[in-house]
Amino acid sequence: MIWAKEETLPRKELEMIQLEKLKKTVAYIYERVAPYRGKMDRAGVKPEDIQTLSDLRRLPFTYKKDFRDNYPMGLFAVDKKELVRFHASSGTTGKPTVVGYTKNDLEMWLGNVARIACMGGASAQDIVQLSFGYGTFTGALGLHGGLEKIGAAVIPMSSGNTKKQIMFLKDMGVTLLVATPSYALHLGEEIRKSGLDPETDLSVRIGLFGGEGMTEAMREEMHRIWGKDFLCTQNYGLSELCGPGVAGECQELCGMHINEDWFIPEIIDPKTEEVLPPGERGELVVTCLGKEALPLVRYRTGDMTRLFYEPCKCGRTTVRMENLSGRADDMLVIRGVNVFPTQIEEVLLSIEEIGPHYEILVERKNRLDVMTITVELIDDRLLDSYSKLSELEQRIKAGLKSQLGLATQIRLVAPYSLQRFEGKAKRIKDLRKDGL
Amino acid sequence: MKQISVFVENRPGSLMEVTSRLTEAEVNIRAVASFDTPEFGILRMVVDDPQKAKQELTRLGFVVRIYEVMGVELQDEKGNLNHMLSILADGQINVNYIYSFVIREQKAPVMVFSTDDMEKAKEILTKAGVKIVTDEEL
Ligand SMILES: [Zn+2]
Repeated sequence: MIWAKEETLPRKELEMIQLEKLKKTVAYIYERVAPYRGKMDRAGVKPEDIQTLSDLRRLPFTYKKDFRDNYPMGLFAVDKKELVRFHASSGTTGKPTVVGYTKNDLEMWLGNVARIACMGGASAQDIVQLSFGYGTFTGALGLHGGLEKIGAAVIPMSSGNTKKQIMFLKDMGVTLLVATPSYALHLGEEIRKSGLDPETDLSVRIGLFGGEGMTEAMREEMHRIWGKDFLCTQNYGLSELCGPGVAGECQELCGMHINEDWFIPEIIDPKTEEVLPPGERGELVVTCLGKEALPLVRYRTGDMTRLFYEPCKCGRTTVRMENLSGRADDMLVIRGVNVFPTQIEEVLLSIEEIGPHYEILVERKNRLDVMTITVELIDDRLLDSYSKLSELEQRIKAGLKSQLGLATQIRLVAPYSLQRFEGKAKRIKDLRKDGL
Repeated sequence: MKQISVFVENRPGSLMEVTSRLTEAEVNIRAVASFDTPEFGILRMVVDDPQKAKQELTRLGFVVRIYEVMGVELQDEKGNLNHMLSILADGQINVNYIYSFVIREQKAPVMVFSTDDMEKAKEILTKAGVKIVTDEEL
């Protein structure tokens, strides 16, 4: 089922809608958001210079850093009394990236999530187990609202507690699972270990996955574990843009349809910042159309992908983005949580018993991400007893947990045992091949 | 008596790295103990020249610290260790760890232990007639 007629418009009509909304958005952001007005003035562009869609590339970019520089609400375009919701995600350092919504923004957001749920095969008959972590992240409440909008019944399960997850899946006759793909694989294996066969003993037939990328190898594995008829799609979003609902895979599995009447995508070369022709791989840049609380123009997502404009067999005419192929920066996605090495660095630098050098190792063990951080011990006073070293280890773990919201493994090594780098350090080793 | 503590990673050869560096520097190891976890360990040693040992190892990139520990002579007879520990227990001295000498040419065996209350331990042991070994006597 196709939720909105905007998903099937001829490109000419769609572009007319986009241009009209773009003009309004640029005028709105210029008038209401001082940091953005400053950027436009410095670039010598006025709202009335935007006459065609290709004029978009004359506008300055917005970066993740702008959120930090204007923390918490300096990029907001409305008064606080207009806001009805806040969410927050990781920032590049200690402060989170805070986003806000007006009543209309929520309506728009959840409408877009409803479209994506329908693309992935969801309907009013579905019973949904929502296994994203609730809280300030946009994933859980976004999917929750969008699925309710199409009439599905949602169990707000949250993440973790695998035993309870299995009990609900079985007893409630759950038909649709929302999770990160790696957690879905882990859960499926646990179900098999418990003696149940997901294919015959459970009614789960749809998976809507997000929070991290799903490779084709993971999709194949998903069929092996959950059954050959399991319909699994992934969707894409960023809290800065609204949350989930920016793009999603349809059942043709040929890329994620972008809700183009709300989001204009561009692909740029992240180094030269030039816009690349359709079909070329580069960094995804998104302009939000018609957002009230937090309008964003040319937001640098950091995600690398390609765009395909040919209409899809599913009947939708909206552009499709290919599965993500890495990052333009060094952000990591660990158990669905965005992690910036700068966040880790901030914690390590605040602990004086260890040196400033570190290495991050990411592996997938038993389907779940494990992050090990190696640091050098420099303080000889800790050699007094093992318990002092152990206390240090616990203190580093606790600092990282509160900064990242994730458990990490710590490895203490002797000084000078980590490799020294000149220039940009290669401190990250990601061993998650194919996501398996 | 002085002890040096060295941080070592728990991987093959890491203890040998320390001992061979000391041998090269002509530092003699009198007693050694290692305490370890799956990831790392602390190597504790009594050597004939702790300052030189620390200097050498630090220069080579090890984390090293010198501590004050207690060395006591044991009578060369059955039950001696138990006897020593009961003196300390009766005197309410808490022992963090103990180990003993590897070599002591022709002399009585020595037990090394660490406690947070050195003064009191010294007093109790002296009263019980136990010989306390100093660095000079090594
Ligand atoms: Zn399609």
